[in-house]
Amino acid sequence: MSARKVRTSAQVDFAIVGSGAAGGVIARELAQAGLSVVLFEQGPRLSPANFEHDELKYWFLGGITNDAEKNPQSFRNDPAKKAERAVVKPPLWYARTVGGTTVHYTANYWRFHEIDFNERSRLGAIAGTGFDDWPISYAELEPYYTRVEWEMGVSGLAGASPFDPPRTRPYPMPPLPVKSSGVLFERGARKLGLHPFPAPLVINSQPYRGRPACVHCGFCHGFACEVTAKSSTLTTMIPEAEATGRCEVRSESYVVRIETDKRGRASGVAYFDRDKREQFQKARAVIVCANGAETPRLLLMSANPQFPQGLANSSGLVGKYLMFNCTGRALGVFEHELNEFKSVQVTRILHDFYQSDPKRGFYGGGGIDARIGPQPMFWAQRLADYGTAWGSAFKERLVEFPRSMLAVGHGTSLPVATNSVSLDPELKDAWGLPAIRVTYKDHPDDLANARFLQDRAAEILEAAGALKVLKAPVTEQTSAMHLLGTCRMGNDPAKSVVDRYHRSHDLPNLFVCDGSSLVTSGRGQPTMTIQALAFRAGEHIAGFAKRGEI
Amino acid sequence: MDNDEVSRRAFLLAVAGTLGVSALNWSEIAHAAHTAHAAAQTPGPLSISFFTKAEAADVEAIAAQIIPSDGTPGAREAGVVFFIDRALASFCSRMAENFRAQLADFQTAFRASNPDIASFAALPSDHQITYLQTVDHTPFFDDMRLMTIFGMFAMPAYGGNRDGVGWKLLGFEDQHVFQPPFGYYDRDYPGFVIEPEKST
Repeated sequence: MSARKVRTSAQVDFAIVGSGAAGGVIARELAQAGLSVVLFEQGPRLSPANFEHDELKYWFLGGITNDAEKNPQSFRNDPAKKAERAVVKPPLWYARTVGGTTVHYTANYWRFHEIDFNERSRLGAIAGTGFDDWPISYAELEPYYTRVEWEMGVSGLAGASPFDPPRTRPYPMPPLPVKSSGVLFERGARKLGLHPFPAPLVINSQPYRGRPACVHCGFCHGFACEVTAKSSTLTTMIPEAEATGRCEVRSESYVVRIETDKRGRASGVAYFDRDKREQFQKARAVIVCANGAETPRLLLMSANPQFPQGLANSSGLVGKYLMFNCTGRALGVFEHELNEFKSVQVTRILHDFYQSDPKRGFYGGGGIDARIGPQPMFWAQRLADYGTAWGSAFKERLVEFPRSMLAVGHGTSLPVATNSVSLDPELKDAWGLPAIRVTYKDHPDDLANARFLQDRAAEILEAAGALKVLKAPVTEQTSAMHLLGTCRMGNDPAKSVVDRYHRSHDLPNLFVCDGSSLVTSGRGQPTMTIQALAFRAGEHIAGFAKRGEI
Repeated sequence: MDNDEVSRRAFLLAVAGTLGVSALNWSEIAHAAHTAHAAAQTPGPLSISFFTKAEAADVEAIAAQIIPSDGTPGAREAGVVFFIDRALASFCSRMAENFRAQLADFQTAFRASNPDIASFAALPSDHQITYLQTVDHTPFFDDMRLMTIFGMFAMPAYGGNRDGVGWKLLGFEDQHVFQPPFGYYDRDYPGFVIEPEKST
């Protein structure tokens, strides 16, 4: 645990709040550009020695994520209702540790396609939603997708999907070895005339930049990688930022307020240190990368007489347009063993249904992948979704574990203004601060899309020769890991929170870059795009700093 | 050398053989493996501290209906009741008060509809099933189900899943390293071939 290097009274160039997918990248880009950075993280700094294959701890007892006691959240599906506190598991799931959610993600790294950036222009408005184009195009982001692939280390096969958007470089590593689920998925999909391809994953298929190849332990989804084969900003970007001598990572430091000066500029961040003492770090500029839930919460908690609605919130959109991505699952049981508990979560996917098609009667598209919630407790718990919850019938289903796989559709969520992160008026966290209140109800098109993708997934399993195929009912989502859209980018200050360079429309030295920046949800797997945005933002923000434009 | 030590050494050798890279921080990996295996060891003698004898008997009986012992080990052999007892006394203590109250309601309701039977645990198995079918949509049953799954499949260090019976039942292998082929269907996979685009 490193001691504090930058004095709080000294003005650092940048205070970055959140050390996850975006914050880790931006810290490195700015530090390597010669600028000084303090990178704040609520959670502790862990090392691979701390990581365990403990499903109970990581999935059900909080582990490195939110603790229902210390970091409570409330949920409602209707803004007219009072939100209820989640007692066991908070609805929004993210890792509270240096490296953030990159430490425990599944590591699916798809690029978004061109259509994700300009779909409103192509399809027109959708009533009752904030469906809109992005202020940037895929072409503008492409060089940064390539940087993510090479700097974080993505395994994949360029040209394998006919639906892939254009790319300027191949992947730096070949795909991970296919699993039985991937073989079956490929077999079934090809029978149906579809185009399965090796899943791009930010996991080493061979040694890369000082980190070893995957040992196929099977504990990716929700777990931290003890061999560092799964990339994270904890093991890549952050040490590289620190190596410049210009970046200090301040872990167990919980930023609770961004302060402003008389000129209406951000002056620094107030935070609780690990002993719950409040401190203040002066900074020339503040960059918030705290994720799609914590970022809007911090901006709202920073309200002051000059900015009574919270910071960067003249549009009133901070916290609104929350998007989760929809999912539809089908379970297939086969004759022989697949042993899906081994190795990475996903080895084959397809993008044949990526485009929205008006003929389907709803807006939406997505990808489908071959996977399983691979570990025993998750398996047993989820079987209830497929109709058997207890007794000898449940046990018969339980023992199908090695012969089972899922095909899962991942798709769009529409931006709906009432879907939001806001401050709970009553519930407080262990520091006495307002808890996150989630308001969410899937748009009917999102549910229709989830069912459509689920039906396609079930067809693939049937074509692959499954002995039986079961579909979990698609219901309105009440929890999520993809936290998107709550401080959207845009050119119009009345309709967005940050501009095309992630600078807030209201405060010239306050930037926001993370899942909250997304204008549309993509088709699932957003971290790749969050990091491409972060590389791009880092480059532009460094340029602004050097040209005196902050 | 006990089984855990064998397993830890096998892990380290497998990592070394697989990777052949010097980039690994060996002491950290060794520490991680050691921690995992120390935690996986089965804890000491069985004892009940949170529940009364009557409560423990009913909890065990319900758990044994959720995952029965029909030819292969179930919740009873996994020691699920010991797991739940320990969980409510320690890492799930926030659930304890509510769980006990719900259990009391369950027992009260059972006695009301079965005045001649001493307890749920005293019922014959088929009658237990019939009774549970009338209450399997209650929050208490949901909690019992979740705790039974935990006790069946959590690492043995938590007090259930004794000798890994839950994992064995599923065919889950508690190992740090695997190599392809992983299953039956990827054994003879010829390699990925990009298909010419179809004009559909």
